[in-house]
Amino acid sequence: MSTAECEQQGTGWGILEDLPGDPMIWVLIFSELAAFGLFLGAFSVARAIHPAVFAAGQAALDSNLAGLNTIVLVTSGWAAARATKAVRAGERQVARYWLLGGMALGGLFIAIKLAEYAEEIGRGVGLETSPFFTLYFLLTGFHLLHVGLGVVILAVVCRRARILGVETATAFWHMVDLVWIVMFPILYLVQ
Amino acid sequence: MTMPDRIDITWIALIGLALATIVLPPLMPRAMLGNAVLLALAVIKGRRIALDFMDLRAAPALWRGLVSAWILIVLLLAWLTSAVVPLI
Repeated sequence: MSTAECEQQGTGWGILEDLPGDPMIWVLIFSELAAFGLFLGAFSVARAIHPAVFAAGQAALDSNLAGLNTIVLVTSGWAAARATKAVRAGERQVARYWLLGGMALGGLFIAIKLAEYAEEIGRGVGLETSPFFTLYFLLTGFHLLHVGLGVVILAVVCRRARILGVETATAFWHMVDLVWIVMFPILYLVQ
Repeated sequence: MTMPDRIDITWIALIGLALATIVLPPLMPRAMLGNAVLLALAVIKGRRIALDFMDLRAAPALWRGLVSAWILIVLLLAWLTSAVVPLI
């Protein structure tokens, strides 16, 4: 088959072409979901092995602050979804406003999480306090890193506000939102 | 009067479910049932994000199924491992 014939049949991404945004972001999204899934599975198994240690660790967390962060992040996801809808309708300036709103809420999530860490560390809790806190800091820290990266990606696409860029950035942002929604009850609430 | 957008309805539903997740724990027996309720709320929230925010509702069933399976497996494992502890 010639190159021209291949190009006529699409971009070469196969069934990934049917997803919004650049197909490469979906390769990343599925990789990230696999990594977070394994990590959260390890946390659940470790809880079953050390129930008393995990119960004591969980009791030392502020689940109300984490619940507030859930509301902040889903609202940010809503703003990102609104940005995608606006850019598809050709309203690029409106899309920029929604993206800025999503980024601001992402920044608020980071600020709340850092305040939570500061309070915990101030009480003498650290990575080596217990297996619970080792996994807690690694999991939430890895997620926080993704929130920061997501804000940067939203900022990068905000200037031009083109359909492909906005769809790609917001797909990543929704993955970050989805991971937190699953992580929150497992870390803070399940006993 | 215009109909509310699906994105807006999903956001309102997510806020309601998030508030339920915050308010319910002190009111529930914190055994298998309480954990099941909290994790079921997370399944519903995760599905709404995947379908309406990630736009997988319009995507091929393979991708919808994969993300839904990820949500279900991770949360079901959390419930099973918590349910197993009292039996050990």
